[in-house]
Amino acid sequence: MSDGAATLEISALTSGYGEAIVIRGVSMTVAPGEIVALLGKNGMGKSTLLKTVMGFLPAREGKITLRGHDVTRDPPHRIARQAIAYTPQEQAIFQDLSVGDNLRLGQSEASWFEEELARVAQVFPFLKERLGQRAGTLSGGEQKMLLIARALMARPKLMLVDEITEGLQPSIIEQLTEALAVQRERTGVAMLLVEQNVRFALNVADRWAVLKLGEIDDAGKSDAHNAAARIADHLSV
Amino acid sequence: MAKGAQTSSAKVHFAAAKPRSDIRTVLKGGVLALLVLGVAPFFLDIYTVNILIRALFLATLALTVDLLWGYTGILTFGQSAFFGIGAYACALVFTHWGFGAGWAILALVLGIIAAMAVAALVGWLAFYHGAAPLYGSIVTLALPIVLTQIVFAGGRTTGSSSGLSGFPTYYWSIEIWFWLAGAFLVVVTGLAWLFVRSDMGRVLVAIKENEIRCAYLGIPVPRIKILLMVAAGGIGAIAGFGYAAFTNVVAPELTGFLLGTELLVWVALGGRGTLIGPVLGAIFIDVTSSYLSGSFPFYWKLLVGILFVVVIVALPQGLMPVVTNLWRRLVPGKRSAAEPAKLAAAPKREIAESVDKPLIVRGVHRHFGSLQVLQGIDFEAEKGELLSLVGPNGAGKTTLIRCIADGYERSGGDITIYGKPLGRWAPDRCVALGIGRKFQAANVFATLTVGECLRVARYRLDPPSTWASDTILNLPEAALRIVEETGLGESLATEARHLAHGQKQALELAMVLALEPSIVLLDEPTAGLTRVERERIGTILTSLTERERLSVLLVEHDLDFVRKISSRVIVLHQGRIMLDGSVDEVVGSELIRNIYAGSAQGGRGDPE
Amino acid sequence: MDVLLLDIVTTAAILFIVASGLMIILGVMKLINFAHPAFLTIGGYAAFVITQLGWNPWLAVPFAALVGFLLGLIVERVIVRPLYARPLDAILATWGLGIVIGQVITIAFGRQVQFVQTPISGAMEFLGQTYSTYRLVLVILAIVLAVALTGLLYFTRFGLNARAVTMNEDLARGLGIDSTKVRSVTFGLGAALASMAGALITPLISVDPNLGLPWLVNSFMLVLVSGVSIPGLMVAALILGGAQVIVSTYVSAILGGLTIVVLAAVILRIRPRGLTSG
Repeated sequence: MSDGAATLEISALTSGYGEAIVIRGVSMTVAPGEIVALLGKNGMGKSTLLKTVMGFLPAREGKITLRGHDVTRDPPHRIARQAIAYTPQEQAIFQDLSVGDNLRLGQSEASWFEEELARVAQVFPFLKERLGQRAGTLSGGEQKMLLIARALMARPKLMLVDEITEGLQPSIIEQLTEALAVQRERTGVAMLLVEQNVRFALNVADRWAVLKLGEIDDAGKSDAHNAAARIADHLSV
Repeated sequence: MAKGAQTSSAKVHFAAAKPRSDIRTVLKGGVLALLVLGVAPFFLDIYTVNILIRALFLATLALTVDLLWGYTGILTFGQSAFFGIGAYACALVFTHWGFGAGWAILALVLGIIAAMAVAALVGWLAFYHGAAPLYGSIVTLALPIVLTQIVFAGGRTTGSSSGLSGFPTYYWSIEIWFWLAGAFLVVVTGLAWLFVRSDMGRVLVAIKENEIRCAYLGIPVPRIKILLMVAAGGIGAIAGFGYAAFTNVVAPELTGFLLGTELLVWVALGGRGTLIGPVLGAIFIDVTSSYLSGSFPFYWKLLVGILFVVVIVALPQGLMPVVTNLWRRLVPGKRSAAEPAKLAAAPKREIAESVDKPLIVRGVHRHFGSLQVLQGIDFEAEKGELLSLVGPNGAGKTTLIRCIADGYERSGGDITIYGKPLGRWAPDRCVALGIGRKFQAANVFATLTVGECLRVARYRLDPPSTWASDTILNLPEAALRIVEETGLGESLATEARHLAHGQKQALELAMVLALEPSIVLLDEPTAGLTRVERERIGTILTSLTERERLSVLLVEHDLDFVRKISSRVIVLHQGRIMLDGSVDEVVGSELIRNIYAGSAQGGRGDPE
Repeated sequence: MDVLLLDIVTTAAILFIVASGLMIILGVMKLINFAHPAFLTIGGYAAFVITQLGWNPWLAVPFAALVGFLLGLIVERVIVRPLYARPLDAILATWGLGIVIGQVITIAFGRQVQFVQTPISGAMEFLGQTYSTYRLVLVILAIVLAVALTGLLYFTRFGLNARAVTMNEDLARGLGIDSTKVRSVTFGLGAALASMAGALITPLISVDPNLGLPWLVNSFMLVLVSGVSIPGLMVAALILGGAQVIVSTYVSAILGGLTIVVLAAVILRIRPRGLTSG
């Protein structure tokens, strides 16, 4: 691990499914402790970018480095073991496993479990009481919280979060915002959030970028006064 | 009706079928093979001729395995059963009833009928809409085991485990038997050759490549598989009959599972889907086994086993393609691929004017277990309407498309297509009602050429020839236009897997339009396409609705695209219709803003 | 009547033991291991080797399991791994492997029938019947096996990983689980279970190079009917094994031999995913 290296550095990345190219020459970095939001309409390649970083899709061109290590050709499990917590948008939890087993699967060290569980239970208290319940029987919002809890409990250096707010009610989004901010404060974790919810994204992230047809169309800082308007411009139809 | 729409630039107009077959090649090859077989007995010793006769009958059986597995993708372990049925028909009739020309014919006919009946039963059991490919293999695995046990149970009638032998038969000279077996093999190979190269043969390969796409092109896949199974069963029975009449011995092993797997070994080694490879593989391995069974039986079988594993893992196409490639390299020469069929315009079909609403959906819902994916879906589509379905991931858009294209899919509710209710029907029957569905990912038949893919799509309207291929390919104007505008017309002889992504998408769209549907269902037809390709598809879709008066239902994420081409938009969210209205109404709505962009812009000014 | 009941239970136990290795591999790897009978045969010959060496016949079971496990790891690496994307070809390749193993055994040990020393011989009084002690012991072993497999799959981290890979391989990989390793160990485990089963059944049958073959199709059918779960396999073994015993006893032994196959084909037509899956 080389000091001072970006937590995630993507350079000139091109990838896609089969012959369809979805990501076209994207470059971006996430510094240690930084939260970056990736915005854009459906089908513009946001999730594809995360899947490529995780090694689920081969990078056709370009390079991906995690804290200085080139992981462009690594398989997903090896990338995940670099303290990367990935929360996919769909089929993100094991429906037929218990809540506890779902949380355990996120952890590389069994000994962390109790300590980390106590910590996330401060934000999501229901988890502690329902460890034995089948995850598929949780409500949609609870499943999302379970998903985030699993990522937080993994002691990650980088979280890749794919549309966590989708279909969530505002109060839960508030809780999530809080949970992510606290985690960063405490552990210095970096995050790349793929989002549709602009308000949430701007609240949590330091920087944002808009992806359009597989290319970065615009980018800026979250606290710039015109950020929301600029993003809205891109997302409008 | 396409009032005022001029016929497109297609130069050729509807043309009558002009079949072309490989009959010359087959005759040449057949005569050559017959000549070789004719003189062979005079150069070989009696022992070799003897084992060759058996090998020739088994090779014919292997050929039927290649038709089922190599071409159509049905992994069968049970082809030996039909061989056994033919063999036992011979042995049982000759042993218990009588011997003579009449009895021989009766035994043969009985054997064929019994085998075909069993094959029909197996096919009916194994091939139904939605059956897993593995289930067919399970049934073919059970068949020989059941038959073997029945033979065992037959006691003295069937000779139980020791079989029947010494029944009267024709003690012709060995040359005559050799010629009979050889001629039978050559004739069956010749017919099979014509068959697999015909338009129908291409349909078999299409089924192997992508059964689901076939069903949605209106091809009755289960029926075709059953018929093929029946034909293969009949041929297998004839081979078994000949084998028994020649060797004068039948044993339960002839019906058994082990012979069934041995056939697979021969076909795999020879080269599945090559006809000649399996025939040569069967003859070579069976003859060599007989020779070496005395001296090195175990080492030989070990070698075959190792070779089989290596071929399956590293060389799945078998040895035949290796040989043909070598031959091509050593003997360069002009080998012109068959000319692709010429495109012609199919006669124009009028959209029924009598019906007011082409598509009526009433109260359709769909659940998976306790998960409600669609609930209370009600809408109608007009003629000439381009209706877009939008909504976030998981809203149920693709499920809705599926409910319209497959009668089994919905959990409840009614769908009416051009006045006819959509029953609990498999997709191929829905196609007959006028539904055409394009899948999300380009779904074409990878090893078929562009022309062949389009031909397969014409299955229902221009039934394919069983022994020949048509030199004319009739397509409706809309399909022709896509083929011309996207340059597919120049690639008719190119295998679909070599096409660029955009061309594949265009090809699948052309295949769907070749069905001459009245309602077209498109699931993200522009995914992964470049801007130029998107625009081209957009133009084509608009012309479909405006000129051909088709109803198009489009699932699309790209709202820019939706806005440009739709005449109406339906917003689905969490399985319900949230909004149904004109483009302006929907696109400008608060709802879609919330769904698509989160709630951030709630109070801000309209950025446009 | 009581004998019939004991026959049914002991037959089910034997079927369960024999089919468990096939099920583990199909369950976790979605792969049909047609080399299963070859691993049964290997187990039989492992027991034969122990007999030849004059060692305690119970040692045959762990010895067979060890041989099976190591061989399974090699086979997975060389033959199975390239075929994950071609499941039907994997059936054929493992079948071919079975041919190879059968021939190697034939070359090494000869074709003749061999006999293995029985760890427990004789009969005992049970439920008022005199019944083969060894068959009764197999019932206990089947229960122990079911408990051990349940424990492994449900109470260890390996089991959790394996179940995760079964349910959603991509998600599991995204959480850092090396699914390749899970598959490899699973195949080794399945092969070990098959070899162990081979060693366990040899006191009931003679040992020859085709020992395993008659068990293949019945095991395969049981596993499919079970819906690929441990309790499902127990139920399937009891129902189908029971039907086999009843048909064999009251109709004919030969028709009993096809009971499982026919019943399974019919059940699977009605319930394609087996008995226990919803």
